[in-house]
Amino acid sequence: MWSEKYRPERPDQLIGNEEARLALTVWLSTWKPGTKAALLMGPPGTGKTTCVNLLARANGMNLVDLNASDVRTKDKLQRRMGEAMATVSLFGERSLIFLDEVDGLAGRADIGAVEFIKESVKESQNPIVMAANDPDSDEIKKLSSACVPFRFRPPPPREVEMYLREVARGEGIKVGEEELRGYVVDAAGDVRQAINLLQGSQQASPGEGDSRGRYKDRDRSASEALNGFFGAADKEEAMASLRALSMSPFEKVRELHRSIVKSGLPAPEMAKALEAVSRADVLIGKMMKGGEWRLLRYLDRIFVEELYPVVKGAAVKYSGQDDLPFPVLARVWNDSKKIREVSLRYAAKAHTSGMSARSQDIPYVFALCSKKKFREELEHLLNLDSDPDVLESYDKFLTKEAAR
Amino acid sequence: MEKKRVVVGGWFDLPRLGPEVWSTLVRKQGVVYDKSTGFKFDAGTDLQGAVRTLRSAGVEVELTLKCWICGKMACPGCPYLSSCDRASVSGFCLCADHSPEKSVWGAYTRRFDVDLKS
Repeated sequence: MWSEKYRPERPDQLIGNEEARLALTVWLSTWKPGTKAALLMGPPGTGKTTCVNLLARANGMNLVDLNASDVRTKDKLQRRMGEAMATVSLFGERSLIFLDEVDGLAGRADIGAVEFIKESVKESQNPIVMAANDPDSDEIKKLSSACVPFRFRPPPPREVEMYLREVARGEGIKVGEEELRGYVVDAAGDVRQAINLLQGSQQASPGEGDSRGRYKDRDRSASEALNGFFGAADKEEAMASLRALSMSPFEKVRELHRSIVKSGLPAPEMAKALEAVSRADVLIGKMMKGGEWRLLRYLDRIFVEELYPVVKGAAVKYSGQDDLPFPVLARVWNDSKKIREVSLRYAAKAHTSGMSARSQDIPYVFALCSKKKFREELEHLLNLDSDPDVLESYDKFLTKEAAR
Repeated sequence: MEKKRVVVGGWFDLPRLGPEVWSTLVRKQGVVYDKSTGFKFDAGTDLQGAVRTLRSAGVEVELTLKCWICGKMACPGCPYLSSCDRASVSGFCLCADHSPEKSVWGAYTRRFDVDLKS
């Protein structure tokens, strides 16, 4: 992948956020125990993590990389950070402690974690850098008094173009001005995406220098990338096609789902394919709910490892942005509406959330419904017997589930 | 509504907008304030928030970026002017003299080292 080949090796080789990079470099070089921690804030993909990695490398520091979404409690933080905070090597070399996604510290499980971090900043013998995607979260507000803020934003389009030209020069390819600017605009500040678009265009038509306007049209770009994924010769090609896809994770899941449902795959393959898409959807849900943005890196991997082997050679095509046929849509809506209704009633009785009920409990509850007595008791408990409409839908759903 | 062109990283003045607006801009949105030189948007500023606050206070801000290499105004004549949201991108860009077609990568990376040493 060109995005790996041309990955920056020093902080000066990054683009965008020049002032923040400079200030962060100065902060690190003048750091002494008691100095405030650095807090890098900005949307995913703006170079926060890369910048910290490169700074540690440039300063010969050992990077202790922790993700606050994984290490959420005070005890766990103390265990993982404690030693790193207190230790300086015999030769006076320091470690750089990097706590990523601190805005992911939320909820009851994290009680004490924010206070622990604030205390740690005062006592640490090594510099602490934190990163957050959402500067307005409560956790960030609580941490702000112990931190020096650095805001990271996407680089402006002209700088992305400069970097793309540098990549094109390194690869010895000529790209038309309009085409290059099309990639810059489509990538919307995401340098990796811009490089992937450039690489995708070259692999789609080797030797063809100026493929002007190929990616200008977003639909056309989506169609090429998704059909490239479905028709890829191997996993590597499938991954390159997905990375060239200029879509949000939600759109990616939606378009893949749409294409699979309309594909006419045999039922067992269709089930496997939809299972893979559903896993990706669950991953996005988890990512959004807990602010675990690092999970985004696994999204394409799920599609390549789980979906691609199922659809490979099965003549699945991108179905376009048109809607699914009405009968299919109606079935999807109705099924989800029924499940939601039953889940909410169940959740109220089981003292759990509707989402937990839907994703964790309901499959088992439906399985238990094969026993008549259990089913009758459940229907009574959820007041389904007093609501003929819901009961009828629920009955149909259970019959369908049993048949499946 | 008063229109104001503001260079990101440069000092500018504002009419009196009241203590609430001042406090939001300076305390919450990281706008730099100096009694003698005025206001400044820098790397720590929540640019989108500050532009929104000023708009609601009756000042429409048009942001302009400076060239990272030479410090000149970067936006005039930029081919991306219509598609670039200057409040959401980072604070420096490249001017027409240092446009990407002119192989400025070396100058761009050198500038970082020069600024670091100074």
